[in-house]
This record gives sequence, structure tokens and C-alpha cells, in this order.
Amino acid sequence: MTDKSIEEKIVDSVKAKFPEDVIDAKVQRRNRVSISVKSNKIYDVGLFLRDELGFDHIASVSGVDYIDAREFEVIYYVWSMDKKVLVGLRTKIPRDNPVLKSLVDVWEGALYHERETWEMFGIKFEGHPNLSLLLLPEDWDGPPPLRKDFFLPETPQERLEEKIKRAGG
Amino acid sequence: MSVMKLSMGPQHPITGHFRFILDVDGDLVLKLEPDIGYTHRGIEKLAEKRTYLQNLPVIERVNSYCDSAGTMLGYLEVIEEVMGLEVPERAKYLRVIAAELNRIASHLYAASLFSVATGLETMLMWTINDRELILDLLEKLTGQRITYTYQTIGGVRFDMPDGFKEEALKRLDYLEKRTEDYYKMLLWNHTFQIRTKKVGILKPSDAIKLGIVGPNLRASGVKADVRKDEPYEVYDRFDFSIPTGKNGDSYDRLEVRFKEVEQSIQILRQAIKDIPKGPIKRWAPPIVPKGEAYTRVEAARGEFGYYLVSDGTMKPYRLKITPPSFRNLIALPHLCRNVPLGDIPIIYISLDLIPMDVDR
Amino acid sequence: MLQKLRNSLMNIKLLRKVLNWGRAWSLWSVHLETGCCGPEDMARACARFDTERFGTLPFPTLRECDLIFVTGFVTKKMAKRLKLVYEQMPEPKYVIAIGHCAISGGLWWDSYSVVQGVDEILPVDVYVPGCPPRPEAWIQGIRMLQEKIAKEGIKKK
Repeated sequence: MTDKSIEEKIVDSVKAKFPEDVIDAKVQRRNRVSISVKSNKIYDVGLFLRDELGFDHIASVSGVDYIDAREFEVIYYVWSMDKKVLVGLRTKIPRDNPVLKSLVDVWEGALYHERETWEMFGIKFEGHPNLSLLLLPEDWDGPPPLRKDFFLPETPQERLEEKIKRAGG
Repeated sequence: MSVMKLSMGPQHPITGHFRFILDVDGDLVLKLEPDIGYTHRGIEKLAEKRTYLQNLPVIERVNSYCDSAGTMLGYLEVIEEVMGLEVPERAKYLRVIAAELNRIASHLYAASLFSVATGLETMLMWTINDRELILDLLEKLTGQRITYTYQTIGGVRFDMPDGFKEEALKRLDYLEKRTEDYYKMLLWNHTFQIRTKKVGILKPSDAIKLGIVGPNLRASGVKADVRKDEPYEVYDRFDFSIPTGKNGDSYDRLEVRFKEVEQSIQILRQAIKDIPKGPIKRWAPPIVPKGEAYTRVEAARGEFGYYLVSDGTMKPYRLKITPPSFRNLIALPHLCRNVPLGDIPIIYISLDLIPMDVDR
Repeated sequence: MLQKLRNSLMNIKLLRKVLNWGRAWSLWSVHLETGCCGPEDMARACARFDTERFGTLPFPTLRECDLIFVTGFVTKKMAKRLKLVYEQMPEPKYVIAIGHCAISGGLWWDSYSVVQGVDEILPVDVYVPGCPPRPEAWIQGIRMLQEKIAKEGIKKK
């Protein structure tokens, strides 16, 4: 009977604590675990990871736009200093109404990460202290740039025509 | 008590375009709010439009100030993990040599900014001149001074030229002796110590809670380095140690950087001695199969995180880059509460935030 | 009457030559690092390449400078502030555009937040191509600007 690795123990304890809310939890490779939960339970799973299992160092928050399946996926990557494992806590939300509870109370370092995800995708984080423009210019009035239906100019010729039109020629 | 809002605008004598909005009462700063985005180019959106090979110069310029080789390494690691490609041994050693030389150049650049902020202009000249020695070596190896595009998918582009090994060992010996001079002139200088000791103390529990990385985290006493936690390339074959600081103040953050320069010199000597013969590049298919991965590498300023989602075509579906300066940004409002106005430049420079890195 | 005296004095070739020589050999530059070409700014001012022997001293105060090196790309958020910096400098003032990104957008030609060439905002005198240009190319750019100043007369910009 071989000993279970650290990654498998983490997967088992999360599945045992939240049996109905965890959609999928698996070991991707050494030092990498992926846990997929329902979007209304992400706060509780986050608190469990931080308090019981010791994952307190937030690495990154990223959003992905799956336009064909009409949903966004938000992934929180957190690292544990003594276990040396990176857990990817992920959830899917509908594209027409992207709202998620903010995890700033769980991981304080997620402050600027969530603000940037709001700015680039339009995902609203409820409970975030300051959702305002961070990287884009102050007079930005277009749609969130990282969505798949925001297009950049395809050829330098298009860009040149825009420039000539703006110069009035 | 009357509070005034002061704006230290994007053009200022310290490096880069960064704006601070300060709440000031007399000489005491009550609160600091950073305003970023003056160098935002939208690299993540541009990366989705170009193929993996066309992305190489774009990703390199995320932080081409001082650390192109370290930035590029993470992007190549994530592609090679999704593809399952194994790079030849000689290429791994050459990648490590370029990355470590870059780390020394970057730490010397950080020390030069530090000397400008504290008024020691001689050290500015010394550090920039020593950095020129390293840039000469990199130019012999790659052909460029700061933006190399040397590493590519499957290996590196050029081989080590003749005479490189002897030249490199000579310059590394000189640099090692020179670090002692830096200790005497810069770090043990009484004026410098009064200016930087006990300024901007970051406790280790706060540093872990906020997500700080790199020499800033190590200066607070936490032993965390990606090269030892999750070794990539050939770092598990070298014998080196991770220096840490005691108090977590600005002085410790600079001292840790100089100690890391000494450790990098050790790694470089071992790499130059042990490098095997063989091919430098393996052919890589232009299409990356479906999959996703997250890799971490240790650049000069800390940990770079790359997240790639690939859909089986020649272009990435989603590439997310988490630079170290973006993660360290939250330390700035945390540390600059109820401090005198004169301490703000010291705290900012000791955290080593590069605005191009923060904004991408 | 004083204007007429001034204009006639300045038509004397020798006086104009001396004035232009004084202007060209003491161009103080604003410390402004926009993009990736920034560290080359530090490198060219220090002891190895030493552009200070041509008179270009990097100076932190805006009101006493007469040269801007636009090193690298300029974003839309920064463009307003760059225009403010340019307007605060006293006449006569000059602009050198360094790098492909400052000349025409460069690698970021399809980005949603990069200005395509700094000559949409400021009038540029000398263009120095490269990515990034070597310090020797910077020195050639400074010399070209000095030759351009030597041919100037008194003119209202």
C-alpha cells in the first residue's frame, strides 16, 4: 500500500469537506492541483484552503473568455510555502451576467489582480473596495479589451488609414 | 490637522513612469495610492494575434529594462511543457548562463538607482561601468546589449563563440573582488546606513499574506526561491545557497541583492566548467497541442508566472503573464503609512518596481 | 526700435555663429525614460560612452532644460503629460525621437493604447532608428542635432 502524495491528500481533504460543491478535483502533475467548484461556493472553499490547509500566498488571478461556450472562467492560483504545491481554484460564470464574490478578505494580495480582471473582461467582483480603471487610459469608453469580440486592426494598412483620417487627410 | 493631496507625477527623477497620490499632513505622509498604466501596451491581447514564434520579441519586452533572458525563459518553459518537448543538455546550460548573467546586470542596475536616490553619485558610475562588463559578455554570446531574443522554442539560437569561457572567467574574478569594494563604499557607508536602516520594515507574515516575491521576500527572512522549490532547466545540479535578510528593512533588501550576485558568480563558474558538448536546438512543430499549464521561473526581481491555454492552433488562446513587480506593488501602500516624506523615494527604490513590468 | 537693433545685430554672421555654438554645445536633457530604450539613456551618460563631453547633461528640473529624448513607445495615457512637459520647457527647445517605437509605433503597431509615432504629438527634429539603438547611434543623433542648430538663424518658432 503506497503512501499518498501530498497533492493527492489535498484533493481528498477538499473533496471530503465539500462533497456536492466540488465539480472536479485532480492532480495535474507534480506540485500542481486543480480544483473546480461552483461559483457560489468559491468563498468557502477559499477560506478552507487558507485556514485548514495553509495556502496563504496568492500567485495570480486570471480570467479566460470561452466565447463559444458563452462563459468566463476565473482561476485563483495559490501557493503554500511549506507544502510547495500550487492549487488552481477555478469556477465558471455565465458570459451575459458575470458576477462573482470577491476574495479580497481571504487573500489580501488579490486586490490589484481582481481590479485588472474587472477592467480587462468586465467581470464584477462583489465586495471589492475599489473597482476602477487601473491600466487603461482614463477616457477609455470602449468594451473590455481582452474579450474575444474586441478586434485589433489586422494589417498595417488599416492602421495607416486610421492615422490619415485622424490627421484630416 | 489639515491634509493636503500631493501628486508626484509621472515624470520624476527616479526611474520610470509612475504616479503617487499622497495624503500629506505637514511632513508626514498618511496614505499613498499608486497610479499606474502609463506604459501599458496590451501585450496579452497582442499575444493572441501572433503565432508562438512571432511572440518571442513581444514577450521579451515585458521587462527589457534589465532582464530579458529571465522573462523569456518562463514563456518557453510553458510552451515546452504543453508540447512535451525536451530541450538538449547544452541548450539548457546556455540558457542558464544567459539568465544568470542577466541577473547580475539587473542587480547592478538596481544598486545604481539606489545610489542616485541617496546622493552617492560615485556609486552610480561604478555600478553602470561594471554592468558594461557583463553587457559586453552578453553581446559576445547573443549579439545585442539588452534585448537578445537569444532563446527560442527548442533551444537557443547561437553557440558559445571561441574564447568566451576564458574571457568570462576573467571578468567574473574581477567582479568578485569588486563586490568587496561595494561593501566598503556603499553598504558599510555610515550615511547610507542611517538613511536606509529601519526604513520600510516588512514583517515576514505580512510579506507572505500580501503575495510578495523575490529579494523583497527573502530580505524579510523567508527562504523561498523557485530555483530550489521547483528546479527548472539544470538548476538542481548546481551548488548554491539562498541568502536571506534579518530585519526586512531597505538596507536588507539591497544587501540580499549583492549576496545574490555572489551566488550567481558561483553558479556561472560551475556552468562554464561543466557544459557538455552537443546540439543546441531541437526542431519544434509550429502547432502546440490542446492543453494548459502554469509555470514559474525566478527572474531577477522575483517570480514570473505564465499561464497558457492552447487550443491546438498556431496562436495561443490565452496567455496570462504575472510579473513580479505587479505582485510587489501592494507593498508600497502597505509600507508608506505614517512615514516622513523623505523616506518615500528610499522605500520605492528598495522594492525595485519597474513600471514597464507592472503595466505590461 | 530695440527689435530692429536686435535683428540687425543678429544678421552679423559672427555673432550668430557664436550664439548657435553656445546653444548646440550645452543642451541639457530632461530625464524621461518612456520605454525599453531607457537603460541605454543611463549607459550613454556614464563613464564609458560619456555624452556629457558633448554638453548633454541629464537634468531633473524641467524649466532649465532644452532637449527631450523620447526613448521608446508613448502610450495614450502618457501623451497628455508629455505634451505638458514639452510646453513647460523654455524656448528654444528640441526633440529627438529614439527607437522604432517613437518613430512610428514599431512592434506595437496594432496595440489599442500606444500612440503611433511621437510626431503625432510633438514636432521632432532628429530620428534615431534602432531597437534599441546603440550608444554610438545616440552620439550620432546628438551630432546631427548640433549641425542642424549651427545652420539656424534667429527665428520665432
